[in-house]
Amino acid sequence: MSFLNAQTLRELAIGLQMTVLLIVLSAPLGLAVGCVVAWTGVYAPLPLRWGSHIYRSALRGTPLLVQLFLLYYGLPRFGFVLSPLTAAVLGFSLCSGAYHAEYLRAALLSIPESQFEAARALGLSRRSALLRVVFPQALRRALPGCTNEVVYLVKYSSLAYLVTLVELTGAGRLIAYRTFRFFEVFLIVGVIYLMLVAVVAAGAAWVERRVALERTPEPGVMRDRPIGRPSGHGASLRRRRRVQNMS
Amino acid sequence: MLGVPVGIGHRYGNRVLRTFLWVFDRLFRGFPVIVLLFLFYFGLGGLPGIRIPPFTAAVLALGLRSAAYQGQVFRGALGMVEHGQEEAARALGMHRGQTLLWILLPQAFRFSLPALANEYAVVLKDSALAFVVGVVELMSAGRFMATRNRDPLTAYLAVALLYWILTSGGVAVLRLLEHRTRIPGLGLERLRR
Repeated sequence: MSFLNAQTLRELAIGLQMTVLLIVLSAPLGLAVGCVVAWTGVYAPLPLRWGSHIYRSALRGTPLLVQLFLLYYGLPRFGFVLSPLTAAVLGFSLCSGAYHAEYLRAALLSIPESQFEAARALGLSRRSALLRVVFPQALRRALPGCTNEVVYLVKYSSLAYLVTLVELTGAGRLIAYRTFRFFEVFLIVGVIYLMLVAVVAAGAAWVERRVALERTPEPGVMRDRPIGRPSGHGASLRRRRRVQNMS
Repeated sequence: MLGVPVGIGHRYGNRVLRTFLWVFDRLFRGFPVIVLLFLFYFGLGGLPGIRIPPFTAAVLALGLRSAAYQGQVFRGALGMVEHGQEEAARALGMHRGQTLLWILLPQAFRFSLPALANEYAVVLKDSALAFVVGVVELMSAGRFMATRNRDPLTAYLAVALLYWILTSGGVAVLRLLEHRTRIPGLGLERLRR
């Protein structure tokens, strides 16, 4: 392991920083794009809905790499010269937005109509009924799919090195070419990605626990449990305990 | 198709096999595709006495990765087959292997078709990455065109269109297959209630 000296470690650390920066920028942007596209795909007037469909189909049907190349090498023809970082972040956000949109759209469609009707009956306007009643529930349902998509994003952030951005994979490649220790270097890079994925997955599990609703008991299921004891798990239970402790 | 034995191993294997598969799973599902490609092409190919042509390296990396994902799909699908099916088969005098082959696998295969269609699309799109280890495929042909005509925009748009046709066409065919092999009453609608 003689190639693991201070210099290569520093290079790997810089690469890791760039990868983390890519993820931190692209993940929320992607989710935002996904929300907008999903919303137009379900509630917007018809031509816009087609637009949303074409967007999703096109970005999910072509490789991310081709999209990145189009942004980085193709756009200069129209006078838009993007820096590698901008091109990568834009490409990742647009692409993962299409996937987020697909999960969110399915979730929006799965919320029972009666929720919307009940909200309308209570006097909410159409917009706030959708925004405050239907959408939060859909977001909760789409969460597992969306966090999965963020995990994919971590791994696909390695494509950024192909538009000349030196992130973790790019740094690994430079070190490997200098030291000729391809196997060891890429194994280390892979393990770092594995750890990143583990961190993201743990964070996702935390968020999921945090926003989980106490499960509504089905009739018959609850009967053998003493009435009045909280049956839910996760955040609602913890919150309840905290309230009890305070009082 | 390696995914089928991987899935069965996940579900029914003994502890040694399961530990091995766990490592395999982490390795191939946790590493980015590019890193896997580099590992197979430069890494294994760089070890003394081993020579791996780019195409073989790409097929190995993409194939084993897909096997890891398909293994997960099959594990889930096997879990979705009702328990009574297995018990009924055993009660009729089939041994474990027969039960698995004739009763559980055909049903699990139907459950896994939608996810497999998804996986097909993913592998197809990831095959674009094979050009980084020097395989001449659609993507590198596009790159060649882009540099020769000095017109990357048209070249990559054409490549994107071809990939789009391949993915949507393939997924449509698999959906048709899903429709054809469906058994009324035993599909996913049973779970939805």
